[in-house]
Amino acid sequence: MAHRVLLVREWDAQTSGSGCCGRLGGAHCDVGDGEAFRHNRVEMEAMGAVYRALRAAFPRGAVELTVVDPRNMIWLVPTIWRDGRRRGMSAAEIWRQLKRGVSYNAVVVDGRTLFSGTVPAPEEAVDAVLAELAASASARPSL
Amino acid sequence: MPALVVAAAVMVVFALGYRYYSKYLAERIYALDANFVTPAHEFEDGVDYVPTNKHVLFGHHFTSIAGAAPIVGPAIAVFWGWVPALLWVVLGTVFAAGVHDFGSIVVSVRNKGRNIGTLTGAVINARSRTLFLLIIFFLLTLVNAVFAIVIGNLFVGNPGAVIPIFAEIPLAIGIGQYIYRSRTSALVPSIVGVVVLYLLIGIGSAFPIEIDGAAAALGLERTRDLWAIIMFVYAFIASRIPVWVLLQPRDYINSHQLFIALGVIFLGLVVGLDRISAPALNTNLPEGTPNWFPFLFVTIACGAISGFHSLVASGTTSKQLDSETDARYVGYMGALGEGSLALGAILATTAGITAVGLNWSEQYADFGTASAGAVGNFVQGIAGFASHIGVPTSIGTIFAAVVVISFAATTMDTGVRLQRYIVQEIGELANIRILARNATAATAVAVLVPLALALAPGGGEQGFAFGRLWTLFGTTNQLTAGLALAVIAVWVTKQGRNALPQIVPLVFLLFMTVWALILNLRTFVENRDWLLAPLDLFILVLALWLVVEAFLALRKAGVGERVAPETSRR
Repeated sequence: MAHRVLLVREWDAQTSGSGCCGRLGGAHCDVGDGEAFRHNRVEMEAMGAVYRALRAAFPRGAVELTVVDPRNMIWLVPTIWRDGRRRGMSAAEIWRQLKRGVSYNAVVVDGRTLFSGTVPAPEEAVDAVLAELAASASARPSL
Repeated sequence: MPALVVAAAVMVVFALGYRYYSKYLAERIYALDANFVTPAHEFEDGVDYVPTNKHVLFGHHFTSIAGAAPIVGPAIAVFWGWVPALLWVVLGTVFAAGVHDFGSIVVSVRNKGRNIGTLTGAVINARSRTLFLLIIFFLLTLVNAVFAIVIGNLFVGNPGAVIPIFAEIPLAIGIGQYIYRSRTSALVPSIVGVVVLYLLIGIGSAFPIEIDGAAAALGLERTRDLWAIIMFVYAFIASRIPVWVLLQPRDYINSHQLFIALGVIFLGLVVGLDRISAPALNTNLPEGTPNWFPFLFVTIACGAISGFHSLVASGTTSKQLDSETDARYVGYMGALGEGSLALGAILATTAGITAVGLNWSEQYADFGTASAGAVGNFVQGIAGFASHIGVPTSIGTIFAAVVVISFAATTMDTGVRLQRYIVQEIGELANIRILARNATAATAVAVLVPLALALAPGGGEQGFAFGRLWTLFGTTNQLTAGLALAVIAVWVTKQGRNALPQIVPLVFLLFMTVWALILNLRTFVENRDWLLAPLDLFILVLALWLVVEAFLALRKAGVGERVAPETSRR
């Protein structure tokens, strides 16, 4: 499997509880007002810069780059858990990574949370991800 | 009939639908191309356009389309017997919702990720965009009214739910402050939020809040009405505060609740092995009961097919599709997930309620009782299922009420907010400055119109105002779906392919909707219900307008110049 890099941040849309008959979307919604999610746009743009820097730095096949909303815990929690186990992390260590990784903003590489709560500068993110991928590869001999 | 057997049979049909029908749609109708450059790749920016793993995208899509409506409709519709309700949910999901949700993603992907509203104007004609906005206006008015009544009824029937529900507001605000201001973990606060919410159920059970005296003092005949007023005051305030204060943080709690509720339903079903106590086809119908044909098809909208899914599918989902072939999994499977929620509602109200000792025939004695008590029956049914896994019935009832009210209140918050934007847009078009510029005035209109509907005494002697109001809501939802199906059908036709999979559900929905609206109109006029009659007439005009636009667009697409299929490839 390719290495997995998760960029955790909210989408500018509501995700649960009313979608069937009224859901508030963001900038590209049919009805509504993108202004309501202005705070999200700021974070989305910042994480977008990180995304583009990582996409430019790593070949598509080698690194699976995924943007995920922290409210999508049904996918996010098992994924970080699985990636952590694959690297041989203990349950306590994985729990620590989960707590930081399922966050408003986070960058998670193969189950390890590198940044939590803030969006790093693109160059800083690329450097950190590069270093972590090297560590991850050594922890996964099959790679 | 054991409920588990029914659930298993439905799951088999859903699996077959996915395996064969969605494959047919993918290959022959939508002609998905793994090499097509999706908007997520073409405009990839890591912001709005992001190629996303299909399982991640399914999580975003499904939680965005799931809500309370697929619970209410089926819970009412089992009045006509569990077989018609189940058949419509199953067939509707497989042959209508799947086609609609899946197709909405594909059409948007093939049109650079544009929204269904924009596409309506572009693919059909500019007039249709106005039609779209008008349908949404009525849909939101009705959904706010019916959910206020649903919540009011649930508070009256389950006073133990009052404390947890109102405590959820500061709880969500606290979670929001913690997550957004401290910018720390969202996992622990959201889990703590759900745990605290469910602990409050115990407190709510010990200290039920009843406001019968206050309602009587205010001269209100029904306690439910006072709850409806309270909920609209709440919605007014909630819709005026920034989304990150309450709306978004509550998503963290609701996301957990959705899966917890689904887990309780299906685990309780497997453990309890309840049998369905409702008749397969209810032949013991009192005089004056609306006929299941056509009302079943507008009573169950969400859960069989919901037009609002097209807004989600084309709004955000289509912009994140990694490969065009993923549309099948995300769109069709999302519809099956919604159908499963409706299945859970049917089983809860036909099998689960017997586990708590309720007599189905009494709960569904007539349409008025059935529609007014439908969600209460669902709540009791969930409590029945929960009792099989060790949850005391008194707690299980409040748990289920809390889940439904949480979703319904979120819908009201969102619905009023959306309606405010539409009222402002209409104010702009009509040059009414106070509506266009003053958000408070626009919100007041967005609140007062549905509140008037919720408080309306109408319905005549049969007293089935809620059931009638719900079917009106269903008609607007079906019209939204009809509009999206028309857009998809026109696009498929222009590609030179067979649009029957869209046209058949489109014609069926429009026929049933128009028929139900005509029958309702007759009833409202006979009952001298001068609030609902004009409303019904307006929606009927919109339905007929849609029929004309769809017919003209399809004829033009069929005989006009064909558009060459898109060839943008990787």
